[in-house]
Amino acid sequence: MAFRPKRALAVFWKDFLDLRKNVGLLVSMMVLPAVMVLVPIGVVWTYVRTPDHADLRSVALFYDPTLPLGASAARFLIDKTLTDWFGMFLVMPVFVPILIASQSVAGEKERRTLEPLLASPVTAAELVTGKSLAALVPSVAITWTAFVLFCVGVDIVAWPLVKMPLMPNALWTFGVFVIAPLFAFFGNGVAVLISARVSEARMAQQLSALVVLPIVGMVGGQVAGVLKAGFGYYLLQGAVVLVLDALLLWASIRLLDRERLVSRWG
Amino acid sequence: MSGIHVQDLGKRFGDRVAVEALSFHVRPGEVFGLLGPNGAGKTTTVRMLTGLLQPTEGEATVWGHRVDRDGEPLRKVVGLLTEQPGLYDRLTARENLRFFMKLHELDEAAAWPRARHYLERFGLGGREEEPVGGFSKGMRQKLAIVRTLVHDPKVIFLDEPTSGLDPESARTVRDAVAELASEGRTIVLCSHNLAEVERLCERVAVVKRRLLAMGPVRELRHAGQALEVRVEGEAERFCVALAQLPFAPNVLAEGPKLRVMLADDAQAPDVVACLVGAGARVHSAVPTQRPLEEVYLELLREGRG
Repeated sequence: MAFRPKRALAVFWKDFLDLRKNVGLLVSMMVLPAVMVLVPIGVVWTYVRTPDHADLRSVALFYDPTLPLGASAARFLIDKTLTDWFGMFLVMPVFVPILIASQSVAGEKERRTLEPLLASPVTAAELVTGKSLAALVPSVAITWTAFVLFCVGVDIVAWPLVKMPLMPNALWTFGVFVIAPLFAFFGNGVAVLISARVSEARMAQQLSALVVLPIVGMVGGQVAGVLKAGFGYYLLQGAVVLVLDALLLWASIRLLDRERLVSRWG
Repeated sequence: MSGIHVQDLGKRFGDRVAVEALSFHVRPGEVFGLLGPNGAGKTTTVRMLTGLLQPTEGEATVWGHRVDRDGEPLRKVVGLLTEQPGLYDRLTARENLRFFMKLHELDEAAAWPRARHYLERFGLGGREEEPVGGFSKGMRQKLAIVRTLVHDPKVIFLDEPTSGLDPESARTVRDAVAELASEGRTIVLCSHNLAEVERLCERVAVVKRRLLAMGPVRELRHAGQALEVRVEGEAERFCVALAQLPFAPNVLAEGPKLRVMLADDAQAPDVVACLVGAGARVHSAVPTQRPLEEVYLELLREGRG
């Protein structure tokens, strides 16, 4: 059966239109990016406000006992915060598509709109592609917009201490534009597959959201000093997620045929 | 090959048989009724005929397309009105219809006059820009019918099309169904509203997992003909005498009235003679056709075994 991009785009158009009119979902989607941007800016601002505080050096030495005596502990901690926060920032491109895809996929079942939809010529592949695009495009756009605000905010609050722009740096630029979309694809894929197995959008959201726990756990490991984040570390995370994305794509194609959708969703 | 041709169609979900050995055909221009209780396999049958489910047995063609392998071309010629309207509440009526025009890859400029014609006909003209969430149940049902027709389907499956409609709107829908059939389209009507089926359908099939009966409505009713006899006093006391007749008819007694089910017109004089012989004073004996509802319920009772 031929894949018709026009039909996939029709599904994308409808879901995107529906999302724009779903005020409740839009508000819940904006909370996480706001936290992801404001929290690190606040932390950097705290370091900049009291750069000579004696305790900062103790904290810095906990993370790096080889820190030279003359080096600024505040600057060290700002750099570490920025590096570590990228791990936390990745929660956003995973979580936002989960919010959207759970609503749009399991929501079709709740609203009883799936059967008329599947009785049209749209194929399961076109349906999943359209719905995935409708979840991925806003998620990536929100992530990139949040990144821009984050860079501007960090640079403004850090300027008095460092007298130079810290952001965007290579890690964040590569991470936000390459790794984050891979994570978004992952969150969407998980939400689509779980939505196909459960009957309610809320349940799909709750189950899918569990995938952010490993990410948060790894950030916890970084804060505890067990894991040392850096370019290679995030590159490895991206590679693992890329493999998971390929598996999810394979599973979606295998599992989301029309009969299965009707039997489970209709 | 236009119309619908179904031969020994069956569907199993694991060990559970949903539909078995179903055979019928529906001509172009015919309104065909599919009757059966909840869980009888009507929805499964319709889903197979619209390419949503694959049959596990038998075969069927809809407007020349095999249901088991011609999914996409099949769905282009088929219109399906599901029991629930299945509309997107946050979108306007126009956006709901546009979405389905896009899915059918229609030229919107060409498709809109048709949509507008039906919107006007169903009293939704001028409401296109309103969100569907604010529509009444009847308005939603009518919009769902317009959506079913927007791609000019050759075969139309309607599941309870007048559900939730006021009498005037229901009549508009019935007129539209008759008009669509007169244009040469094949229409399959699933309904529990037997009066509506009687009014609209030339033929009906009664299913309960398998086919229980099929034929023109008039023939089915004729097969269920009865003799209504009015006697003096309580009619129940003559039931025993009637049971002695060689063809042992089913009898219902209510006050002075007896309803005697007949297999043949020729049995009527024997019934009257039997009653007179048993001492009944017969005031009237009128052959009647049983309402479709009664025939339908009897078929289901027989099909239970």
